[in-house]
Amino acid sequence: MTAPSLAAAPAALTGRRNLEGNEACALGAIRAGCRFFAGYPITPSSEVAETMARELPKVGGTFIQMEDEIASMGAVIGASMGGVTAMTATSGPGFSLKQENLGYACGAEIPCVIVNVMRGGPSTGMPTRPAQGDILQARWGTHGDHAVIVLAPASVGEAYSETIRAVELSETLRVPVVVLLDEVIGHLTETVDLGAVAEAPGIARPFATGPREGFLPYAETADLVPPMPRPGDGYRSHCTGLTHGPDGFPTQNPAVAAAALTRTTDKLVLHRARIESWREQATEDADLLIVAIGISARAARQAVKDLRAEGLKVGLFRPVTLWPFPETPLREAVAAAGTRKVLVPEMNQGQLVLEVERVLAGRAEVTGLSRIDGETLTPDEIAGAAREALK
Amino acid sequence: MEIRFSGSGGQGLLLSARILAAALTEAGLTVAQSNAYEPVSRGGLSRSDLVIGEAEADYPLAQRLDVLLILDEAAATVSTGLLTPASLVLCDAERVTTPPQGPFRTLCLPFTETARTLGTPRVTNIVALGALTAQTSICPPEALMAVIVAQTPARFERLNREAFAAGLAMGETEPA
Amino acid sequence: MKDTKTETAASFDVNDYLRQDRMPHFLCPGCGHGIALRALLWAVHEQGIPKDRLAVVSGIGCSGRLSAYIDANTFHTTHGRPLTFATGLKLARPDLHVIVITGDGDCLAIGGNHLIHACRRNLDITCVMLNNEIYGMTGGQVSPMTAEGRFTTTTPEGNTEPNFDACALAAAAGASFVGREVTAQVLALKTLLGQAIAHEGFSFVEVLSDCTEIYGRKNDLGASPEMMLAKKSAMRPYAYRNTVDVPFRPNALRTGVLTRTDRPEYGAAWRAMAARIREEE
Repeated sequence: MTAPSLAAAPAALTGRRNLEGNEACALGAIRAGCRFFAGYPITPSSEVAETMARELPKVGGTFIQMEDEIASMGAVIGASMGGVTAMTATSGPGFSLKQENLGYACGAEIPCVIVNVMRGGPSTGMPTRPAQGDILQARWGTHGDHAVIVLAPASVGEAYSETIRAVELSETLRVPVVVLLDEVIGHLTETVDLGAVAEAPGIARPFATGPREGFLPYAETADLVPPMPRPGDGYRSHCTGLTHGPDGFPTQNPAVAAAALTRTTDKLVLHRARIESWREQATEDADLLIVAIGISARAARQAVKDLRAEGLKVGLFRPVTLWPFPETPLREAVAAAGTRKVLVPEMNQGQLVLEVERVLAGRAEVTGLSRIDGETLTPDEIAGAAREALK
Repeated sequence: MEIRFSGSGGQGLLLSARILAAALTEAGLTVAQSNAYEPVSRGGLSRSDLVIGEAEADYPLAQRLDVLLILDEAAATVSTGLLTPASLVLCDAERVTTPPQGPFRTLCLPFTETARTLGTPRVTNIVALGALTAQTSICPPEALMAVIVAQTPARFERLNREAFAAGLAMGETEPA
Repeated sequence: MKDTKTETAASFDVNDYLRQDRMPHFLCPGCGHGIALRALLWAVHEQGIPKDRLAVVSGIGCSGRLSAYIDANTFHTTHGRPLTFATGLKLARPDLHVIVITGDGDCLAIGGNHLIHACRRNLDITCVMLNNEIYGMTGGQVSPMTAEGRFTTTTPEGNTEPNFDACALAAAAGASFVGREVTAQVLALKTLLGQAIAHEGFSFVEVLSDCTEIYGRKNDLGASPEMMLAKKSAMRPYAYRNTVDVPFRPNALRTGVLTRTDRPEYGAAWRAMAARIREEE
């Protein structure tokens, strides 16, 4: 048997079709080259696993339902260590369980994609009802300082295209990427034009190709992404969750430890331009700017149109890459428009608003609008809060 | 345009909505479908909403219903807040005993009874889909029928055709 | 008569399989893990597995550190989870020989659920559990393998919990190869590990290792030789099972191959199913 090729045939998906958000995540991942999925059933994300179970065998991939959430995260990292692009999907309680292994992937720089379809919480919460309560957990869920990327699709089309981008960023930067959906987007069916989605870029993990002798698996390269040794290629290197130096072996040397940890976070700063993504709607002259993600951003999108029709200067700033937060673009949008007020509607008790307050640091008056009853924020609610703020 | 299919779990509401969505998509429209049901496989309030437009909806969830279909008393009142004077409400004459009251048009039609006469109440949703098509002229009946045939088991084809035709006829006899 | 044992021993140099730049190792004097590691690498050598195709996955604890010393593709993963990483690795890369090195705490406490499901699934992985009856790395806390009455830092008055029979557990959960050996029997251990590696399916080997520095001292079990000999005298090798000497050798500790079945290997079964799906497409 030989090592499987990453260039297995892509799933044939073109044209307009009605897809569910969760299904779109799975199909996007396969389109991007994902060939391994390990998961565990949990509402409201199970359709990702179900789609993978159906589709992966067709493209020479592997699906496995593991014994628990922790195991599925471990299996995904194991497959990725073997050189195969891998993904898992879960929701709140499962996302909590995956955090330790997710931290391993951060520390050992193992590419992997984790779809988290947010439901009500804490604990078992309201499994079938939407929420956006994992905004901070997605960033800081695992212990210690770490680099992680979080993408927040607001439509089914984006669930597809952003999962493709998640695979691309994860593979090329060697960093775990979380695709953060809310239950509405995960279970929403929308007409999407897959032909209109840009072709998956040439997603290629940087595998080590140089001399075996003296190979350093975590060498500090110019792009801060060390080429990854693939088992069987002759490098016979070591991979550990312990803090390690360029040689991959544990170290407690303060200088080596600091440099190693700093590189993994500096990596995202260096590649920020490629990672960052956001959308603006009617921001040019906005007196009031709404900052929102997911279904709250869709409600805001209509609220902005309704308010503009009333003559109110309101715009929407939507982070598509949630973490690292597009802080400079937000500051620039506020500065360019002379925005006085910022409204942050979210389905939690105020998580995104904390980051917006930090980023704007007094440049505009920031107010939150929260809803935590398992119902979505509606365009009317957001428009009402915007009118109130502009009074 | 916003259409809600509502009733109790097991009445094929999600399937009806998916069939209509597929037909509309083929006709070039853009559809958003969202579902809600209680965490039981059979029984319990169930609904499926379609938000239909030329392009992706800003907000993909229903806010003001153009058409509300109610197939069971369990769903009789829950959607009233989303109705406007322009709304059309289609109720099952047998299973909805207290149709919503208000400044909108309500039609109570024998969906279940017709389906039972055809052989099984399981095709009630297809009868209703026929009546809805006739009342709204939302898409050509042939296009919808083609999707029904494509998305349901072959052994139900004849029954589904009869159910859809009966629903169309029922809808056409009522003033649109 | 040809002395095959000597010949094999002569052709095997453990240094060929160790990362020399990682020496000296961190194991305590008298620790049984070094003997187990040598036996494992000897078995790998005898099975003719190229180092480039060997993947060793370990968890956390004293056993977890061993992977770093092996000149192969090595993965030191999270506590209790090496079997999950190994499952992903083996499914994604069936061309690799995947060996898991784990400890009694790693495998049976925090990782217990993964063990029983790995046994049930029967993926072609060799799981070597080094049982030293203690959490050594964290300073000597009670483990699921600590015998009743033993003293540990978290059972200062003696352990009141019963321990597992790990091999019976693995066999009951469906492992298609189960064996146990003591460190005093290096050749038997090497042979057992070789059989486990050669076995197609999930193989579980419990190595009764010796924690002299922490467990031994705390329980007054003597130095390494005493601990090893005590286990050796308690063992009941396969050859002596069901023999007439039972009344004279009431030894309870069964060693050698304990279970061997030819259940279908999971990876092959899955790939066959996937191939069928692709053909039907």
